[in-house]
Amino acid sequence: MSSKAVTPDLPKHFQGKWNRRSYHVLRELGRGANGTVYLVSQDGVRRAVKVGAEGMDILMEVNVLKSIQQGRDSKVGPLLCDVDDLVVNGKPCTFYAMEYLEGEQLDRYIQKEGEEWVPVMIVQLLARLDVLHRHGYIFGDLKPENIMVSRTDKTVRLIDFGGVTKLGNAVRQFTEEYDRAFWHAGDRRAEIGYDLFSAAVMMVRLTVGKERWKSSQSGPRHTGLLCDIIRKSDSLYPYRVPLLKAFHGKFATAQEMRAELLAVLRERTVEKPQKKASAAAGKAGGGISGLFVASLLLLAGTLYYAWFM
Amino acid sequence: MKEATLRQILVVTDGCSNTGMSPVAAAALAREQGITVNVIGVIDKSEMGEKGEREIREIAEAGGGLCDIVYPQQLAQTVQMLTRKAMTRTIHQVVNKELKEILGDSGIEELAPDKRVQVAGMVDELGEKSSLNVVMLVDTSGSMKPKLSAVQQAIHDFSISLHSRSGKSRMAVGSFPGKHKYLDIRIPWTDKVEQAHQLTSDLTMSGITPTGPAIVEAIALFEQDKLPSSLQERYRDEAENDDMNGSLRDHVF
Repeated sequence: MSSKAVTPDLPKHFQGKWNRRSYHVLRELGRGANGTVYLVSQDGVRRAVKVGAEGMDILMEVNVLKSIQQGRDSKVGPLLCDVDDLVVNGKPCTFYAMEYLEGEQLDRYIQKEGEEWVPVMIVQLLARLDVLHRHGYIFGDLKPENIMVSRTDKTVRLIDFGGVTKLGNAVRQFTEEYDRAFWHAGDRRAEIGYDLFSAAVMMVRLTVGKERWKSSQSGPRHTGLLCDIIRKSDSLYPYRVPLLKAFHGKFATAQEMRAELLAVLRERTVEKPQKKASAAAGKAGGGISGLFVASLLLLAGTLYYAWFM
Repeated sequence: MKEATLRQILVVTDGCSNTGMSPVAAAALAREQGITVNVIGVIDKSEMGEKGEREIREIAEAGGGLCDIVYPQQLAQTVQMLTRKAMTRTIHQVVNKELKEILGDSGIEELAPDKRVQVAGMVDELGEKSSLNVVMLVDTSGSMKPKLSAVQQAIHDFSISLHSRSGKSRMAVGSFPGKHKYLDIRIPWTDKVEQAHQLTSDLTMSGITPTGPAIVEAIALFEQDKLPSSLQERYRDEAENDDMNGSLRDHVF
């Protein structure tokens, strides 16, 4: 049996064996390592349903989704709506239904809206991670593909909980590009620092764009390569201190890293207008208004954060 | 269940076997002895032929394991994921069997999803805590040559993954075809593979791919595993004196 792509095709309509809810399949949304996610409609409400061949893997995701929903801080990921079995080709299959998050993958969003959004999004992401960490889990497989920017309120949400790991255990799932061990910066034990490392690498990757990133990927990897990129990038250079601290596991919590990034971001937002004159040639306008929106969002984010913490 | 040791063979290959016993039969033999066989096919730009794909699938099926076909860049993460998933599966099967004995006919599938979520948590914890022994078998026939640096990276990387687990883990690495035999032991049982270890040095490149015989010899490695510790020490010494080659060949065949 293969490890992926074995998700059986869903029938157009199906009904859960235990809770008897009926679902109407609209289309496929994407494939993760543990299964496939479909957009469905249940009594006229749109939901996302994840089905996988290995029931245990699906149920472990349910486990995590359940435990992070015990508080009010449910904004980490989608809300869990239903867990049940369906029968496909005579074989029982476990699935779960969750809130459908409409939005865009983080990397596509940045590509469209501009790299000045990167720090804003990373700061938001760190707030989400902090909640997860305080529940005793790390996200593990942190990458742009697993982060969604919601269409309506531009908030960051985590999707695909297949890599989520209990603190102290071995990371369940990872992607080499963002993996601490692959950059020779530590092992794969689930620690808060593991997620923060991935978040920092992601910040670099999203800022420099695909081409530049690819060209840095040849040869043996070490965090020195990342430092080179940071040194050469005007947008990353101001963030060098928090980034380096994340590479070297110096932050105890996501909250700490968030605060440091935020401090740089605020400073930058204030001094950007004067600097603009010297760097104007490179960029085609729009930066200031973008940054203004960004800072507003940040303010909102901080308020939200302060409210719930 | 507390002291369970999970045993796996992981085959990394890029094509069909062409010498000796059928690898599918060898995998069935392994499974019979409680060893799970996983297979990873590594491909370049060129596709793996239909025949190769079928063989990989059949080996994994017979060996009660999982398989995947990936590019060299994805090898490291695939090794980790396949190993973990196969482990979860094995434990799931054991737990299911025990549940059947307690509950009568119905196994996990007959439990309501809410209860099953709890079982899943338990299976996950058992997977993390149990001992794990893995023999990695690397195909070093001619066509694999350009992919070996990725394989080497994956071996070192896998060692980090194993090291990050709470349970005891050990691995050994063999390459096939060997110099004189079907399988050469490149790295004897160890709990940590040094990065400096060179897989590519001292390799015999050849056209033969004895996947089946290599699996059979790997099964024997697990028997060595069961020896009393005094004897195990002797094996290890011999392996090192012998330049890490063929520590088994005199004893097993």
